[in-house]
Amino acid sequence: MKLVAQLEDLLYQSQRAPKKEELRLSAWRILVHESEAVSLGLKDNSSGSVYTPPSYRQGESGEVFLVWADGTCSQAMVQLSSLNDPGYWLRELEQWRQASYQDPDATHIPSPEPLPLVAVEDRAIQKVIAGADDILFDQVKRWLTDKPSKAKMQGGIQVAWGYRHVRTSTGLAVTYQQSQFMSWFSFDSLIGGGFAKRRLSSPQEQENLWSLTVNQYEGMQKEAPPVGPQTQVIFAPSMTEEMLGQFVLPNFSGDRVIEGQGAFSKENFVEHRTVFHPHFSLSIDPLRPLESGSYLVTPEGVPAQLTVLVRDGQLQTPFLRVKDAVRWGAKPTALPQGTAGLYLKHQAEVPWIEALQGVEDGVLVLSVLGLHTQEAVSGSYSLSAPHSLRILKGQIVGRTDVKLTGNFMADLLASTTKTAHSELHTHPYLMVMTGVQTL
Amino acid sequence: MEQKEIQALVRSVLAEVGAFNGYIIVRAQSRREWSMRLSNGKFERVSTGWDSGLGVQAFTRGGATGLATSDVLEEGVGQKLVEKAIQLARRNEAIGTKQNRQIWEAPQVQAEEANPAQKVFGEIPLVELEEKVMTLHSRLRGVFPEGVWQTSYRQVEEEWCIGRTDGTLVSFVVPRAVLMHQGTVRNQGKAQSALIHRSGKDATVLFEELEDHMLERKATDRAEFARAVCAASQLPSGHYPLIIDYGLAKGLAHEAFGHAVESDHMTESVLGEEGKLRKGLRVARPGVNIIDGPLVGDWAYQPYSANGLPRQTVTIVRDGVLEAGLGDVFSAEEAGMPVSGAGRAESYRHIPLPRMSNIRLLVDRMFPLTPAEHLMDEVKAVRETLLQYGELREGEKNLLLLGYRGGQVNPKTGDFVFQCDGIIDVADPDLPIYQPSIFSGKILSALEAIRGGLGEGCYDAIGTCGKGGQSVPSSGGSHRYLLMDADQQVSLGGERG
Repeated sequence: MKLVAQLEDLLYQSQRAPKKEELRLSAWRILVHESEAVSLGLKDNSSGSVYTPPSYRQGESGEVFLVWADGTCSQAMVQLSSLNDPGYWLRELEQWRQASYQDPDATHIPSPEPLPLVAVEDRAIQKVIAGADDILFDQVKRWLTDKPSKAKMQGGIQVAWGYRHVRTSTGLAVTYQQSQFMSWFSFDSLIGGGFAKRRLSSPQEQENLWSLTVNQYEGMQKEAPPVGPQTQVIFAPSMTEEMLGQFVLPNFSGDRVIEGQGAFSKENFVEHRTVFHPHFSLSIDPLRPLESGSYLVTPEGVPAQLTVLVRDGQLQTPFLRVKDAVRWGAKPTALPQGTAGLYLKHQAEVPWIEALQGVEDGVLVLSVLGLHTQEAVSGSYSLSAPHSLRILKGQIVGRTDVKLTGNFMADLLASTTKTAHSELHTHPYLMVMTGVQTL
Repeated sequence: MEQKEIQALVRSVLAEVGAFNGYIIVRAQSRREWSMRLSNGKFERVSTGWDSGLGVQAFTRGGATGLATSDVLEEGVGQKLVEKAIQLARRNEAIGTKQNRQIWEAPQVQAEEANPAQKVFGEIPLVELEEKVMTLHSRLRGVFPEGVWQTSYRQVEEEWCIGRTDGTLVSFVVPRAVLMHQGTVRNQGKAQSALIHRSGKDATVLFEELEDHMLERKATDRAEFARAVCAASQLPSGHYPLIIDYGLAKGLAHEAFGHAVESDHMTESVLGEEGKLRKGLRVARPGVNIIDGPLVGDWAYQPYSANGLPRQTVTIVRDGVLEAGLGDVFSAEEAGMPVSGAGRAESYRHIPLPRMSNIRLLVDRMFPLTPAEHLMDEVKAVRETLLQYGELREGEKNLLLLGYRGGQVNPKTGDFVFQCDGIIDVADPDLPIYQPSIFSGKILSALEAIRGGLGEGCYDAIGTCGKGGQSVPSSGGSHRYLLMDADQQVSLGGERG
């Protein structure tokens, strides 16, 4: 019997006819994932080495949230019992009861609402899991054939497919299939590229990502003139994503805002304080087909929807889980999956090719060391970016090592900050004037 | 699952191997966790959970490998995983992977380690733990009401069993517990956070904290310091004599040197040459030593590798000279170092990689430091000790870097960056505070710049090692403070545009 079915039986029974009265539930929620994944890695130009072998993974686990008859609640991670033990779930239930705590705001379980139609499954991935996995091995082989001759290559490729089950005591019962595809590679552990969506990448996308990364690698092979105080700093799309994840996302988490642990207060949101330049908007969009951050329903049973966090530079709302929404006095919002599903948009965004031509004196930052150590609340950063690409008169002219010092919130507020669109990424190139020095 | 059950499970999977003429490693893990988080006087979350599963790694006779794992421990799962792992290994062999037969050379080991916990998982009921954590959280809020406080407590017990087709069967239990306070303070319109922890092997950490309130004192001191940092000015970037606390020293030892001597990294490491460890290379001044090895009761304790070999304590740098690396069974020989049982994995789902356990950086040239109860008293004691021994570099700032916020290193190029909570100039009797700024440079230059230590060894700086996308507990430390000379390849700070 599947885990989700066992849990449904257990929780229905505990709600209607519990074995002991103290184990009576008034409400509950279940989230279960069933998944299978296949992966293959590449280490030091060798595919499937002892550290990156072809791997298969099967999993079936989830979490439950329970509201007891006395109004207390519990939450627990769950897995199928490893033994054929008829008393297992009752003992688990007793332990969950022991772990119950008071949190009245968390006890609301939303009623079911119509779900949007969102594409989150690529059937081709299911076929790979079922055995048609040549696509993984062929891709890795092609990387090794096409790589720059002197480059030492690392990489990996993974597909996953499975079911997501969400059940609530208010009547929501959703099961849907979802898939994931992820591939990444790097040359000399310095320059890399990656792709992550809920579908396989197309040959054209693979080709474009490969060309871009090889060009950047070749650009690294010669030294470039040092940067100056007026050099424009351009964060590559993957860097923009990382900066958003480090400095922006935590400050838009509803619980942090409510508890006074973020950069903004609740009043700032109510008053629609301007925190970014009016050309910027920031949203969570889980409705885009086959994107990593897309879903049909949150783990709490809230249907996917578009949520605007910042419109025209002004704060609109933090992202709110059900408990935070109760405390905020609003409806729950969309939720990001890490930085996936988060979209930063500038009104005057242009294609990267066009933007590059207009850069007289710039440096393209592809990666930095130590971003995760920076203070999210203040937004301040002090980072080193060895192996950046120098841009002069619209051309990438070589490699330079730089140090960056500034404040990401100030960057997003500045009128000098612009973005450029990337065909290969959901996040833009971010072009800022900030502190930059030779490392 | 109990230790006997997990051993029986591994034996039953090994019995499924049948006539396969290769080699099989079976890893089984059962993990229980209780965690809770309190914020501003209320429970935000109390969570219980467990996770059990099996991983089967198969090697063809030639040495190509495949891995299959599952947490669905139903009838027949062992056979399914063995078949799948063998199929993937054969597939791997067919594409011409680099083969590795080192596992055949591993010695057979049979061991069953007792659980080192003083209070085994579940001995203290969850409801009692909740009361204790709430008491500690409430006290802290009362002592420092200007801060916004979050307190969290996590208690984990992992049972591992590793079996191999050569008859090896190793099982051990790893208990861990950590209590953390995170405070957010505001001053002059700016906000800073402070995070401190107290770790151990079990719920004893709560009993100890209720007794001595050591973490509470540290939390309030750090929150006061963070408030001062909000209003502090920024340092001009430059090369300064530095004093780093043992948390930062652990970061330096772990990120900068530990990773650079792991056997799977030798082809790309700044401490490797033609794929071999550069043994005999002078990397620091005489008297500098770096040691890695498990300590019982420590956050990162693990007595055996995830390949079933005893974990050894290794002196990486002895008297300033690179002596040994951290070798696992698969790459140690190729990297020119002995196997030290360094293979660790996040879980049964993951391939073990050579990793550190508890790494400590120690120097012979040590100056005594009397520990003080409060942070700024200790900083004063640091200044006085440096003056007393003529160790304060005159005519320039001598900067004390406090708190480790994390760091990152590129082992290939030797570039590192670390971030601290804030900086104090101990050359100035007023002990002015500065905002944190990036501590960066070249790892060999940083090691060469170490000139002494202040105070006894402190090895309880904890973290999580993210190598290979896995999350594995790590720990370490040094003397309470390390002294470093100014070096042109090690800098602090940058300037805003």
